[in-house]
Amino acid sequence: MITVSVKWQKELFQAVEIDTSQPAYVFKCQLYDLTGVPPERQKIMVKGGLLKDDADWSTLGVKQGQKLMMMGTADEIIKAPEKGPVFMEDLPEEEQVVALGHSAGLFNLGNTCYMNSTVQCLHSVPELKSALIQYSHSGRSNEVDQTSHMLTIATRDLFNELDKSVKPVAPMQFWMVLRKKYPQFGQLHNGVFMQQDAEECWTQLLYTLSQSLSSTGSSENPDTMKALFGIELVSRVHCQESGEESSETESVYSLKCHISQEVNHLHEGLKHALKSELEKASPSLGRSAIYLKESRINGLPRYLTVQFVRFFWKRESNQKAKILRKVDYPLELDIYDLCSDDLRKKLEAPRKILRDEEGKKLGLKASEKSSGSKDNDVKMSDAEGSSNRSGEPSIATSEEGVPSDSGTQMTGIYDLVAVLTHKGRSADSGHYVAWVKQESGKWIEFDDDSPIAQREEDITKLSGGGDWHMAYICMYKARVLPK
Amino acid sequence: MAKDSNDTKKNKKDEKRDEDLSEEDLALKQQLELYVERVQDADPNLQKVALESMRQEIRTSTSSMTSVPKPLKFLRPHYGTLKAFYETMGGSDLKKYLADILSVLALTMSAEGERESLKYRLEGSGGDIGSWGHEYVRNLAGEISQEYAKRQSEEVPIEDLMELVQQIVAFHMKHNAEPEAVDLLMEVEDLDLLIEHVDSTNFRRTCLYLTSSARYLPGPDDMLVLDIAYMIYLKFEEYPNALQIALFLDNMQYVKQVFTSCDDLPRKKQFCYILARHGITFELDEEMAANDDDREALQDIINNTKLSEGYLTLARDIEVMEPKSPEDIYKAHLLDGRASAGATVDSARQNLAATFVNAFVNAGFGQDKLMTVPSDNSSSGSSANWLFKNKEHGKTSATASLGMILLWDVDSGLAQMDKYFHASDSHVNAGALLGVGIVNCGIKNDCDPALALLGEYIDKEDPSIRIGAIMGLGIAYAGAQNEQLRSKLAPILNDAKAPLDVIAFTAISLGLIYVGSCNEEVAQAIIFALMDRSESELTEPLTRLLPLGLGLLYLGKQESVEATAEVSKTFNEKIRKYCDMTLLSCAYAGTGNVLKVQNLLGHCSQHLDKGETHQGPAVLGIAMVAMAEELGLEMAIRSLEHLLQYGEQNIRRAVPLALGLLCISNPKVNVMDTLSRLSHDTDSEVAMAAVMSLGLIGAGTNNARIAGMLRNLSSYYYKDASLLFCVRIAQGLVHMGKGLLTLNPFHSERFLLSPTALAGITIMLHACLDMKTVVLGKYHYMLYYLVLAMQPRMLMTVDENNKPLSVPVRVGQAVDVVGQAGRPKTITGFQTHTTPVLLAAGDRAELATEKYIPLSPILEGFVILKENPDYREEDH
Repeated sequence: MITVSVKWQKELFQAVEIDTSQPAYVFKCQLYDLTGVPPERQKIMVKGGLLKDDADWSTLGVKQGQKLMMMGTADEIIKAPEKGPVFMEDLPEEEQVVALGHSAGLFNLGNTCYMNSTVQCLHSVPELKSALIQYSHSGRSNEVDQTSHMLTIATRDLFNELDKSVKPVAPMQFWMVLRKKYPQFGQLHNGVFMQQDAEECWTQLLYTLSQSLSSTGSSENPDTMKALFGIELVSRVHCQESGEESSETESVYSLKCHISQEVNHLHEGLKHALKSELEKASPSLGRSAIYLKESRINGLPRYLTVQFVRFFWKRESNQKAKILRKVDYPLELDIYDLCSDDLRKKLEAPRKILRDEEGKKLGLKASEKSSGSKDNDVKMSDAEGSSNRSGEPSIATSEEGVPSDSGTQMTGIYDLVAVLTHKGRSADSGHYVAWVKQESGKWIEFDDDSPIAQREEDITKLSGGGDWHMAYICMYKARVLPK
Repeated sequence: MAKDSNDTKKNKKDEKRDEDLSEEDLALKQQLELYVERVQDADPNLQKVALESMRQEIRTSTSSMTSVPKPLKFLRPHYGTLKAFYETMGGSDLKKYLADILSVLALTMSAEGERESLKYRLEGSGGDIGSWGHEYVRNLAGEISQEYAKRQSEEVPIEDLMELVQQIVAFHMKHNAEPEAVDLLMEVEDLDLLIEHVDSTNFRRTCLYLTSSARYLPGPDDMLVLDIAYMIYLKFEEYPNALQIALFLDNMQYVKQVFTSCDDLPRKKQFCYILARHGITFELDEEMAANDDDREALQDIINNTKLSEGYLTLARDIEVMEPKSPEDIYKAHLLDGRASAGATVDSARQNLAATFVNAFVNAGFGQDKLMTVPSDNSSSGSSANWLFKNKEHGKTSATASLGMILLWDVDSGLAQMDKYFHASDSHVNAGALLGVGIVNCGIKNDCDPALALLGEYIDKEDPSIRIGAIMGLGIAYAGAQNEQLRSKLAPILNDAKAPLDVIAFTAISLGLIYVGSCNEEVAQAIIFALMDRSESELTEPLTRLLPLGLGLLYLGKQESVEATAEVSKTFNEKIRKYCDMTLLSCAYAGTGNVLKVQNLLGHCSQHLDKGETHQGPAVLGIAMVAMAEELGLEMAIRSLEHLLQYGEQNIRRAVPLALGLLCISNPKVNVMDTLSRLSHDTDSEVAMAAVMSLGLIGAGTNNARIAGMLRNLSSYYYKDASLLFCVRIAQGLVHMGKGLLTLNPFHSERFLLSPTALAGITIMLHACLDMKTVVLGKYHYMLYYLVLAMQPRMLMTVDENNKPLSVPVRVGQAVDVVGQAGRPKTITGFQTHTTPVLLAAGDRAELATEKYIPLSPILEGFVILKENPDYREEDH
């Protein structure tokens, strides 16, 4: 019989007796009484080894008064949870995209940044995506030529691929078809493809899509592209000399923002562009005369595209030169005063509701709020993107050709969702980049294959005036009210 | 012609100067000229009087040091005359007298290399050497060293010189010129003479000069110098200093001698604290401490059992006990808009990073917000939840992180690890084994719990469990040189069935356990293991750990490595150079050997085209060798900058790591800037290494600038999972131990190098040389090797019973006072705090009260204070 002291965690049990004639298991049971640790979970350190249950004390050489150390707890044994967590690394790629919060970048295939940035901007339009999905291979009707059809298919596939992958995508197919359809993009210079004007690419692509999508035969929205991007203009053409006056309507896919000495802000540039002088034959005068054309918006699209007319043909240098002038643009654009009187009337009511709601949000009385909510940067995020809420068609929108199933009203207020910028001194050189707002509200700069997160305040800094990226095309999304 | 004109000019000048002389000087000049004439007189009496007077004139004037003394100046033209006359004189006292005077005149007149001053001195009358002034003695000392070198090569006896040396040393030592005395003795290779001449007033400065100059001496002179310093310290009973030198020399016999020479218990306790900080295993015997109880108390200190307690006392005093979560470190709220989109899905890699951050930040505090659960939480516990938020091998690191959190607290650490031993997941088991090793890092225990617990797992089937146990043993018994472990581990190395990774970790563990021991058997075992590798295995990144294990055996042991290095030349060429570089860099680590640095730089200047990898360890080697002292360190930083510009990619990848090692836990601004620049490098491996190194240089400092840089990097690299992982780890390192820890392997005012600490850092850096397959692969737990270098950067004053004692201290930037006259201030820009206090890199502390006397001259770590018997409370 010898006595030892046993150290267990921070406790020290003095004078524990060991009956050396009994196996060690008996000793462990003794310790069980003291510590409550079941014998099978006790680990007793004896001279650099563990005490075995059947160990013989005489061989261990435990001395009187020796200090033993015991390890072990009665704690619950760690068990893996039934359902392990799902890790991002294990997810299939398309689900990783959701977690990532933005879609993939596009590889530059040799001066194709103009195309990449155009694709990225248009890719951010969900309605376009859904329209493309409805477009089927077989749906090609005779009015559409083969190449347009192929381009549409290629666009659809590319959009699909972008949504599914995390890694950058190489838009080979799209690029080939685009060149086929528009051979001017295949121009070579010194054996490499030349940089092209992104605006041209944008316009041509939209034109092709509008051609093929309007003729798909899918009866519901015969003119999707027009509904999404088309702007109805009503113009009064007036000749001061003869006093002749006529009125014409047209539909365009983008508003131009003319840049001249006086223009400091997008709004001014738009106004400027809607007034133009043209020379045409006057029937009353029997010669050509100067006519003044004043246009107003008569129908609003879901996505308003604004092009900054930054490039002009410079004869002496034989290239499209760039106007570097700084032109500010807002995150929230109100085009009420560019609208025709008819349209203004229609906009009144929804705008009032919107103002009231915003007022409420700010805790102000709705009636006291002055018109124009430009100074107000509260985003109506809950109102946007809810296009398919009620079935009743709105008067305002149906006339403008907005899909009849969208039960929403236009307010004339637009939020910036995508900016295509250019960096460099001429349209056919430099670098194009797309800055796109994601559904989460975050901005991503798509610089070819690398998407980079950006802050919203940095987006408004792309207004030019230096050698930094400057906005070339802005895409605004309508802020709508549910009917 | 030209010469003539020159001469005439000079003559004119002299004349002019003569004219300028004041009457007094003119009189002196004439007087001296008279003496010179009289010396040459036939009458010996007249001669004698003249010599005496001349001597008188010279002596009275040599006191001024600012210009050539007047008598010497006026005697210059007559030097030749006197010399010629001297030769004609017969041997007599007068001749000796004249020799004395000539010896002094030679001070200004003698041509370079003639050593006439010495010549005449030896022929002169002897006499008090100091009577001719300092300048004379100093000049003489210089001539002696030249003469000595000459005579050594010609093998001419030197007795007469040594006699003179005796006189000069005695003179210097008496007149506060210890460095000159030491220099002279070093020149004539007879430092032992010093011991006779040191006394209680000058031994400190003598020893300080000796120890500092040892850094710049080639071997084996440096050892000799330190030996003398040790002897002097022992003679004057400055035991702590003697102990430090003994540790520097890694001479356990000396350590023992310190213990046996001193019989004061509190002082011995202080020795134990110094030993514990150095991190070596040392067993006291009866000779060193007679009383059993005392010995146990002392051994407890050496075993570091109180480290956890002291660290927690510090933490409570600084009020940082509250656990921190990884989010508190990331501070994502300071980065607007840039952080990645809401974490809807767990990323295994980011969770793993959080695990490491949590482990490093809460290291040693015993509580955290992920792994440990408050006791009142009876439900299955969040720890299990967090643990299983890690994937596969990630769970190993997660479980092991518990060991890090409970660092040094063996009792509760083992208790909390216990439940993980019973889990059914082998990764968790492996982590538990590693965790036990980490908890026991630097702590020794009579019961050897780590060995008992881990021993039986090293031969299990599952390789991950084996690695966990082997790595755990390596960390727990680093430097222990435990025979039992060797017999268990060595067979694995030569087991043909063992997987490569198991063998690699075994080599590392053996290297750690036998660090700096030059153990032949272990070396043999590793060499055989290396030879057994197949061609394809030699290209595996993990194979590189084998040479490293071998290198660790010779860490800092310089020439002892040569036999093994010779053997390594027979290895397969795929690993030969790698092995060579690793051995060289390990063997000369912390020596500051300039030749080796140049050798390594030479290897880095070659341009490789066959994908060799040996330049990585060569670059690390530069840092390992040069980190020893401040001057070499600065030069190494500059050399590395050059490598960065001209080096190949494999060199550029290693440079940031080398910089990290040079400035570990010492965020120098220039290095910080370089690393910050490299962290945006186009080569992602360079960037990763730079990011890691930012963590290393800021380790445990909470440095706000680095923290800011890393925060910005985390947003810059938010979409690059690998780099983000590195940024997270670096963030964890910067806030390591909430700023209470350091990774610096140097301690005791940068004098001593803890071998285990350096080994730990080196292993981690070698792992980082191949970031992709090791740290970013499945061996991320190699980061835990840093635990070997983790030490509280504190000054904790305790009383003679080891209870914390709060006293005011001044903490400031250390000033180099080597070789300075008087009693200069040792710190500058100080602030007064009360202990315990944190010490930053380059800080030095001194007691701000007379009430206590510290038992160690270096106030770092644990310092025992003794009441000052002479202290009187001031009356108010």
